[in-house]
Amino acid sequence: MSDVAASPAGAEDVADAMASAHDVDLGHHEEHESTGIENRKLGMWVFLSSEFLFFGALITNYLLYSNRGGFEGTYPAAIYDIPFTSVSSFVLLMSSLTMVLAHNALSRNDQHGARTWLFATAALGSVFLGGQVFEFTEFIVEYDMTLSTNPAASAFYVLTGFHGTHVAIGIIMLLSLWGISRRQNGLSEKQGLNLELVGLYWHFVDIIWIVIFTVVYLLSIPPT
Amino acid sequence: MSSEHQAHPTPGQYWKIAAFLAAVTALEVAMFYIDRQLGLGFLNAAILILLSAIKFLVVVGWFMHVRYEKPMISRFFTAGFVLACGLYLVVLSALGVVAIRGG
Repeated sequence: MSDVAASPAGAEDVADAMASAHDVDLGHHEEHESTGIENRKLGMWVFLSSEFLFFGALITNYLLYSNRGGFEGTYPAAIYDIPFTSVSSFVLLMSSLTMVLAHNALSRNDQHGARTWLFATAALGSVFLGGQVFEFTEFIVEYDMTLSTNPAASAFYVLTGFHGTHVAIGIIMLLSLWGISRRQNGLSEKQGLNLELVGLYWHFVDIIWIVIFTVVYLLSIPPT
Repeated sequence: MSSEHQAHPTPGQYWKIAAFLAAVTALEVAMFYIDRQLGLGFLNAAILILLSAIKFLVVVGWFMHVRYEKPMISRFFTAGFVLACGLYLVVLSALGVVAIRGG
């Protein structure tokens, strides 16, 4: 230490070396770790992978009770509005397109384009969610099918309700990113990763609906 | 954004992929009504599941960029999916639901 103190040039070298070491260390831990994949991104993939088990349990529960007879009240399979749900499914599918276009625009540093597509994705998600609220309202008011009418109705509302909740969370995240981008006049590189993570979450919500649309709606079987 | 191995699709290609997905969805809905008229039964279920699987794989592969990512990511994702499908198919088979729906 005394040598360094005696030599201002030496002190600068030590400070530079320490700063460099600090930067390298931060870079190593924050960005890639040993997998070569950003930690937050890997975390999102692991989370989405675990979500298969969550939605799998809810879909299984629905399949167990959807056509089990012997209960009073309206069964969901008897009142599905397939044309309406088909349009909702199409809207959600197209929101995956606008999401990937937002990601693509940001990768080309087209901040205005990214912001526009982000808002379009949130808007399409809101249309889908509005459709679900309409469907639930119609089932309750027109057909008197509530959460406690029978096990099939409970399973239907819990499954599609949790999916709708995921869509609502996605919309909040999309609008947050859109707001940040508007306020800062663009997203930084680090915030760009946030957009990628929200995009992964959004596409996942879409693929879960692809499964629900087929298994719950199109392959519905009336109660026995 | 940082772990691409090959060039991602262009916006024009994304639109074409979306058009393909929309067409498959239309086919699914058409199958629903064809089955109501003709009563295809198991064949209808098999076709609908196949069409659904195609849509699923296209969204995962192209929109979620799994085909451009490191293999570790697709392994994580596939592991979760296979585990969930295997577990719940066993449950549904044990409780007789697969047999009922299979006709």
